[in-house]
Amino acid sequence: MTQDAMIDEWYPVGLVSQLDSFGRKTALMGEPIDVASDADGNARVTANGRTLPVCVRYGHVWSSLGQPQKELFAIPEADQPGRRFVDVGVVRVRCSPLRAVENFLDIAHFPFVHTDILGSEPHTEVQNYKVEIREDADEVWATQVKFYQPQAARSASGGITTEYMYRVPAPTCSVLYKTCPPRPGEWDVITLFVQPLAEDLCDVWPWMALFDDESSMTDLIHFQQTIFLQDRSILENQIPRLLPLDPGMEIPTRADLTSVAYRRWLKRHGYTYGAQLVAQ
Amino acid sequence: MLSDPTGSWTPVALSVDLPPGTVVPARTPAGPIALWRSASGRPSASADRCPHRGMRLSHGFVRGETLSCIYHGWSYGAAGNCLRIPAHPGLSPPETIRVATHPVEEAGGVIWVGVGEPATQPPQLAGLVPLRSLQAQAGMAALEAAAGAKADENGLLETTQNSQEIRLLLAFQERDETLIHVLLDGDSSLLERIAVSRAVEALRRKAEAIEAEGSSR
Amino acid sequence: MTRQNQDHLFERMTIRGAVDSASFVPWIRRHAAKLGLRQEIRHADAGRIEVEVAGPVELIDMLEMGCSLGPIDVWVETITRTPAAGGTGGQP
Repeated sequence: MTQDAMIDEWYPVGLVSQLDSFGRKTALMGEPIDVASDADGNARVTANGRTLPVCVRYGHVWSSLGQPQKELFAIPEADQPGRRFVDVGVVRVRCSPLRAVENFLDIAHFPFVHTDILGSEPHTEVQNYKVEIREDADEVWATQVKFYQPQAARSASGGITTEYMYRVPAPTCSVLYKTCPPRPGEWDVITLFVQPLAEDLCDVWPWMALFDDESSMTDLIHFQQTIFLQDRSILENQIPRLLPLDPGMEIPTRADLTSVAYRRWLKRHGYTYGAQLVAQ
Repeated sequence: MLSDPTGSWTPVALSVDLPPGTVVPARTPAGPIALWRSASGRPSASADRCPHRGMRLSHGFVRGETLSCIYHGWSYGAAGNCLRIPAHPGLSPPETIRVATHPVEEAGGVIWVGVGEPATQPPQLAGLVPLRSLQAQAGMAALEAAAGAKADENGLLETTQNSQEIRLLLAFQERDETLIHVLLDGDSSLLERIAVSRAVEALRRKAEAIEAEGSSR
Repeated sequence: MTRQNQDHLFERMTIRGAVDSASFVPWIRRHAAKLGLRQEIRHADAGRIEVEVAGPVELIDMLEMGCSLGPIDVWVETITRTPAAGGTGGQP
């Protein structure tokens, strides 16, 4: 494994609700790790006997093989009363962790991959939207993203034009803010926390903080799982498996602006674990 | 596989296994392809990689005379040129936005894909009719050893297995994997077809055992 | 939709950053050729490359998207586009 700036970042390694003293074996960037609770019930993550940094947030246990220089990113909506928190559960994907994030940021695929759920023909045009790097937090943000959707959320009763915001606060995490039908003015929060097992293998942990008092937890989980499993069939069949930082063998368009901005941000930071440096 | 100095033909599939309006993955010596048949029945072969963001076109869908990528719906004609980009419906894509294609010939129930620029036509399999295809986890050498015979320059292997004459059309996939098309005389009875099928299965098992033994050394 | 109905823009694209033009200029030419865009490199040094292009806005957008990344050894800080006067007569 090459030493890379990504070694000092926080990564999800398990669910808080599944912590036990027996422990769960998993991996982080090629290294086997163990995730368990200690005698006091606190999360403990070890690699070959060495204790790793750990924090617990958003229903997940987070750890690092290096030394994170700052706290895990904040999601203020997670502290709002009335929200329901949904641990969707892990899905293993045979692709680069960076590919999983790139796909999550993409909307032009909604009518084709999530047909009649998040989009449908002929409503395929992607209107221009705004992307910026917010320098203070050093995060990628896409705003004013609009897309017409037949059934945008469990809580939506018909087709609406949904507005989105996308945020990348860490190299393998993305937060999506989506207009919330039962609470106009508020945003539903859907996240993808991606655990890099290897450069071409990852465990994806989706998590949500929603305003929805109607749907059952099972339905909420099922809805998100259905969508993610559709994405997985894309992710496992993209060439190359690693995320290209040089688009010489691709044709990104203006609709791909979030993907381009994400790749620029990775490139500038030297975040190359899971990246393809030379176009092939 | 029939080769000449400028190119070669590979039997990638049987006609019956590619109905109109479908696309399947296939392998050629030049790499993976998306093999598809338009609504009007025309077979085409394109590289199995969408030039937009690298999604396998073999996972896409055929609509009318075009093949569309499942990821963002980019659509291609039989010649490989991009005809439509759904996210940008106002654009007529330039013909430079395209996916590489290969020549396709279909005859006698077999679909052949050309690699390079073959100067000749694919071989005629006069009087022979394809029965079905199967994959063997065995390379050409293991298959020939199991058959006690060699494939000719067209990839045709004739042998007797379990007292049954069988004729196979072989296509190289990997060093240890071969695609087998089972051929028969045009006037075979149902009983003969069953006997041939069973004999081929027996040959495959024999070849796979030889391959496994060879690789475990 | 016929070609004549598409608006053809003539633009000058200014690419600024740490740009090694030895690797970047051929990269830009290849990418523009893939897009069927006629282009002419008007200026190229270690900090700035200027490209004149003509074509539909969607294709010029695609060139901008590609160039904002480019090969691994360049870093593009900004890309600005301004209308250019007349046609480029550039090579495809």
